Amino acid sequence: MTSRQLWIREYAWATGIIGLTTGLALALRPYLQITDVAMLLLLAVVFVAYRHRRGPAVTASLLSIAVFDFLFVPPYYTFNVHNAAFYLTFAVMLGVALSMSQLTGRIREQAEEASEREHQARTLYAMSQELADTARAQDQVAIVTKHISNVAPGQARILLDDEEGKSRFSRWPEDPVFESVAVRVAATWAYERGESAGLGTGHCAEAEALVVPLRSPTHVSGVVLVQPSDPDAGLTQPARRLIEALADQAAIFFERASLSERHQEARAEIQSEQLRTALLSSLSHDLRTPLGSIEGAASSLLQGSGLLSAESRRELAETILEESRRMTRLIANLLDMVRVESGALTVQKEWQPLEEALGVALLRVEDRLADHPVDARLPATLPLVPIDELLIEQVFINLLENVIRHTASGTPIRISAWAAADAVVVEVADQGCGIPPGEAETIFRKFQRSSSADRIGPAGGSGLGLTICRGIITAHGGRIWLEPTDGRGAAFRFTLPLDGSAPREVPAEALES
Amino acid sequence: MRRFLGATLRAHGYQVVEAASAREGLAQASGRNPDVILLDLGLPDLDGLEVAREIRRTARTPIIVISARGQEQDKVAALDLGADDYLTKPFGVPELLARMRVAIRHSALPPGSLPAPIFQSGELRVDLIRRKVFRDGQETRLTPTEYKLLAALVRQAGRVMTHRQLLQEVWGSNYQEQGHYLRVYMAQLRRKLEMDPTRPRLFITEPGVGYRLREGESSV
Repeated sequence: MTSRQLWIREYAWATGIIGLTTGLALALRPYLQITDVAMLLLLAVVFVAYRHRRGPAVTASLLSIAVFDFLFVPPYYTFNVHNAAFYLTFAVMLGVALSMSQLTGRIREQAEEASEREHQARTLYAMSQELADTARAQDQVAIVTKHISNVAPGQARILLDDEEGKSRFSRWPEDPVFESVAVRVAATWAYERGESAGLGTGHCAEAEALVVPLRSPTHVSGVVLVQPSDPDAGLTQPARRLIEALADQAAIFFERASLSERHQEARAEIQSEQLRTALLSSLSHDLRTPLGSIEGAASSLLQGSGLLSAESRRELAETILEESRRMTRLIANLLDMVRVESGALTVQKEWQPLEEALGVALLRVEDRLADHPVDARLPATLPLVPIDELLIEQVFINLLENVIRHTASGTPIRISAWAAADAVVVEVADQGCGIPPGEAETIFRKFQRSSSADRIGPAGGSGLGLTICRGIITAHGGRIWLEPTDGRGAAFRFTLPLDGSAPREVPAEALES
Repeated sequence: MRRFLGATLRAHGYQVVEAASAREGLAQASGRNPDVILLDLGLPDLDGLEVAREIRRTARTPIIVISARGQEQDKVAALDLGADDYLTKPFGVPELLARMRVAIRHSALPPGSLPAPIFQSGELRVDLIRRKVFRDGQETRLTPTEYKLLAALVRQAGRVMTHRQLLQEVWGSNYQEQGHYLRVYMAQLRRKLEMDPTRPRLFITEPGVGYRLREGESSV
């Protein structure tokens, strides 16, 4: 409803109420004293003054004086008044109307202000709530845009500095909102001065949009632009105040997000620096040891060919073989790690029985598993899982190698799997000395070896196996963790989500006769 | 690598012709008419797959592809192009010799010739004429598809067969997208014919490539 319609309505109401009261007074005329009629009309005036603003109240009061004078004060049906005392009645009626409307007007203003403030607080709270739940800058911009366009019907846009903190305003977005020169001038003004500009403000008021700067304590990080769908009607004062409040709030969130992003980048940089250092030291140690053995064994074989017994020759050759296998594994791990780290890990999922990947893994570590009885029974009812067999096989291998490395020989290993709601859960558990509490997470970190690892023989792990596992499982959309065990042993569990479209059912067949 | 292979194979009584590049290799392959070709996919001058295709255009000489881990797609491509088998670096000498023996034996059979009527490997015996399968002397009943899959593997025993080749042979060309059919039936075969299906001894998975039926030493 426009303000003009509202205005007409209020006056119509005022007139209507006085008319109604007059009708009532006329109908009851035989029973009423003239003072009663005055009281009745006064009541109507008070009612109008209470409900409406001063204009309608005064109108109602003048109307009721006229009606009273014309219909009820003798001589009837003229505006002449014989008894001068009635002038006092008229004055009282006018005075009551004026003071009532003054009073109710003030109350109404206060109520309106309070409800505006409440609305503002509620909107601000709703927006901060949503902003606090999102981390991505893109989503945050969308949330702020949504809330601001809720305030006033029309279009809202947000322009932010680019990553280098430079203003974007040298290149305007391709958006009809920014086509107007006045809007561009207002936006630039608001950005540079940190004050609102454009529609309804003191600067560049001819612009079709209001531009509010995104002010954080340290700088202006961009502008919010609101173009009402009806630029002639403009924006109400409360709407403008609310938009400014929202913009201030949003600016703080944007600044916080960009700071935390920068902080994270810096941390990632430090981490990758640490990784390189750790990689170098690990490489120099882990690669040099087997290389040393290989070189030594090979040179012994070459030089002492005549002196060595068949048995020592064989031993030396075995050393070479064993150590080169160790190096092969280490290098494969490092390459996997680089793939996981660089995000180059591509998962080629195919629906298949988990059994197969496990079978390959068990064969691959077979000779080293000789000392560990493995109990691996997957239920025949286990559903097919969408996995990249080569990668999941690697997960099994790494978990098994982990057990081989960190438990005494003879320690049994149990591998089990079961179907959960929308995933298959796999567990690789051993009966070893377990992992100290508090290391459940750290063991998944790069180059992290369990503090208990040193207790059993030469560990020789690269400290990468579990990190690779986590990378692979995460790439499959699953989770891997150390399941708390009460007492002995360690149990690693991971989930393989059954997502994507399930494969066509394999038709069942009868046995050949 | 070439030096090591040359020395090893000569020590095992093979005559070895070496080639350092694809061009040289192709010339040797047509000029010397070898019994088996070991082809490294990482060649300096030409894609190894091209070499395999070129050799296959003119000759049926068995090709064993050698490649690094992580190049599964290249291996599959080479096998589907007509290579006979593959080895992943690093590999042991016994493995190499076994693959070469199988490849040479298969190529010695005239094309279209029938396989031996009885196949024996470990505890598994397959009678291809009477369509009967025995495990540890006990007859085991299979479904028609299980038998078709088993027979396909038996015909190429000792050699790797890619998923594509097996799907084509057992289900036909309309089932190329249904890789899980093959995997499910393979799991069923293992459950019926392997002692421990999680640690297969006969039906070997070649990860990312396909399957291989292990040959028995006493196979006829």
